[in-house]
Amino acid sequence: MSLLRTLRIGVLARALEEILKVPSHAFGYPLLQPKGLSQKAREGLVKVCPSGAFVEEEGIFSLDLARCVGCGRCALAYPEAVGEMKTLEVAVVRREDLVQRVDLAAQAFLDPGPPPPPRPELRLPTLAFREVSAGDTGLSDSEIALLGNPFNDMGRFGFQVVASPRHADALLVTGPVSRNMAEALERTYQAMPEPKGVVAVGNEAIAGGVFAESQEVWAGVDKVVPVDVYVPGDPPRPGAILHGLLLLTGRVVQRLVGGVVR
Amino acid sequence: MEAVKEALQEGRPVAYFPYGEGALLLVERRRSLEAFSLGQGRRLPSLAGEFPSLDWFERTLWERGLELVGHPGLRPLRRHDLPYAFREFPHLHEVPVGPVHAGIIEPGHFRFSVLGERILNLEIRLGYQHRGLLRIMLGKGPEAALLLAERAGGEPVAHALAFAEACERALGIEAPPRAQYLRRAALELERAFGHLGHLAGLFTDIGYAYGATQVGRIRALLQGEVDRLTGHRYGRNFIRVGGVWREGGPDLEALSRYQKELDWLLPRLLKHPQVLDRMRYVGVVRRVEALALGFVGPTARASGVERDLRQDDALYPAFVPAVRQGGDVLSRAQVYAEEALQALEYAQRFLRQRAEGPLAVEAEAGDGEGMARVEAGRGEVFWFVRLEEGRVAQAEGVDPSFKNWRALELAVRGEGLPDFPLCNKSFDLSYAGNDL
Repeated sequence: MSLLRTLRIGVLARALEEILKVPSHAFGYPLLQPKGLSQKAREGLVKVCPSGAFVEEEGIFSLDLARCVGCGRCALAYPEAVGEMKTLEVAVVRREDLVQRVDLAAQAFLDPGPPPPPRPELRLPTLAFREVSAGDTGLSDSEIALLGNPFNDMGRFGFQVVASPRHADALLVTGPVSRNMAEALERTYQAMPEPKGVVAVGNEAIAGGVFAESQEVWAGVDKVVPVDVYVPGDPPRPGAILHGLLLLTGRVVQRLVGGVVR
Repeated sequence: MEAVKEALQEGRPVAYFPYGEGALLLVERRRSLEAFSLGQGRRLPSLAGEFPSLDWFERTLWERGLELVGHPGLRPLRRHDLPYAFREFPHLHEVPVGPVHAGIIEPGHFRFSVLGERILNLEIRLGYQHRGLLRIMLGKGPEAALLLAERAGGEPVAHALAFAEACERALGIEAPPRAQYLRRAALELERAFGHLGHLAGLFTDIGYAYGATQVGRIRALLQGEVDRLTGHRYGRNFIRVGGVWREGGPDLEALSRYQKELDWLLPRLLKHPQVLDRMRYVGVVRRVEALALGFVGPTARASGVERDLRQDDALYPAFVPAVRQGGDVLSRAQVYAEEALQALEYAQRFLRQRAEGPLAVEAEAGDGEGMARVEAGRGEVFWFVRLEEGRVAQAEGVDPSFKNWRALELAVRGEGLPDFPLCNKSFDLSYAGNDL
């Protein structure tokens, strides 16, 4: 069995299902428990979250995964109100699918309906991508680079990094898009041939993350170029980014709908 | 003013930031820190002409609205809305590179003036990563501000540690011993992880695939141990003001195994003819330059400057820094290799020594000022914080890269243009850390 596995995927490389798992010692993504959201828990959650991911508005309590820094303090303090999703299949094509909304009266998640399918013209057997770091601290960039290491080996899924936007099918963008990088990002996008896709990698790229309020950033890649796939995480693990690339090329279905794995 | 000049002559500026009416200059001399209040109102006398190590500090102060009287060439460092003129050299060809690079790397713009293939001058223009981090810290509580400090440069543990210690000093508290050991263990794992990354990158850049793969493999495994200790692959969400948030269980046996493996592997890799041929005598930074420009960390130590902040840390008794004299790419690679092994050794020691007791003390909201320095993988990280009514009223951070960027300008001078990526990688500077 192990010999067969070795022959199939190599000595170090792991099977896709392994790559897409959160290791047992780490906190995955938080998951609201509609039944446990008492008044006290909700007030506590808003207070305990260092990055303001929880919001209560007009009878709806929400958790934005793109604001979560993954510290796990919410789940530690209020285990009845916040559970954990142990999967890295979290990339979505619709921004609102990263937000869990609980209708407090009905004690149930609101369902935004089925997500749109990925663009058919990007159903490619191989995909060359260009990466632009636009105000990221360097960690999301590092995770993208690690996709190529012998453990993840993205090459076997047909993904490769290219040096020029002229050779790229997709653009991976990290960081909240600093004002000073906006023009360079836009011009890189313009230089790519059609059809082209854009993946926003990491919370900062999705909506600015902890930099959202800064005057010096655009707070989100989609404010500058259109985004096809959002990969949440701070930074996302390589598996999550790989899932984003697979979703862009239409090889997996989106699992996260309305912030919940369905 | 004479006292300032005397200190700068023998020492090295640590930080220089707006403070009260004027600005505060901190200089390290003979391993102790001296503080000087400079300027009246918004006017400061420029010292950069005489002490080039102050140049970028003064440019930053100028950007922030202070008047630097007599500065030889003021240009913005982070703000792109201010005019910027590149130096022009008649009859030389200019090669512009960036801000978007060919690989997976942060953005920056490099302007080479070349004669044929030979680089005669390099001018670096940064600021593409400027996110206004120091400004949005204002008004936040220490915990929320710490999230931002963790995102200042490429070394979250070192930045979080320096920021937390600065806050702890401002509040007059101290982290319990167990937290002290765990923090240092995370710091050393971060150092080993970073250094192995630099080495793998260097091997990649010279086309030595065997070296890159082997070092990259151990690095990826080591990252798993950082993940086990801190719950994050880069050590975020671990350090808090007053201690640490959690205590994970890294595999001590695995750490010792990686150390043994590297102990065997690294000296052999660094003696490979291909490595010697491409790294020796390339990208030299001389000791006198390192001193005059105030370089820190492995960059300075590879040029014979024997300074490491861990020498002053009681948790590292009789610490001996890794020093090389060559100042070339190979010397820096040797320092990375030696320090990576040393860091793995210390990490295991701290994890074994961790005492019983609480992981943190609760920090009450309070007022005060504090500063702290931490030896990160890339060099000295500095944070200053002033708290008023439990909120950040001023925060100033200096990433080691801010002090080391100009080493690259010196290293590539006279080298061939294709050696630039190799030289760049040998310093592995943080762009975001510079662009705070």
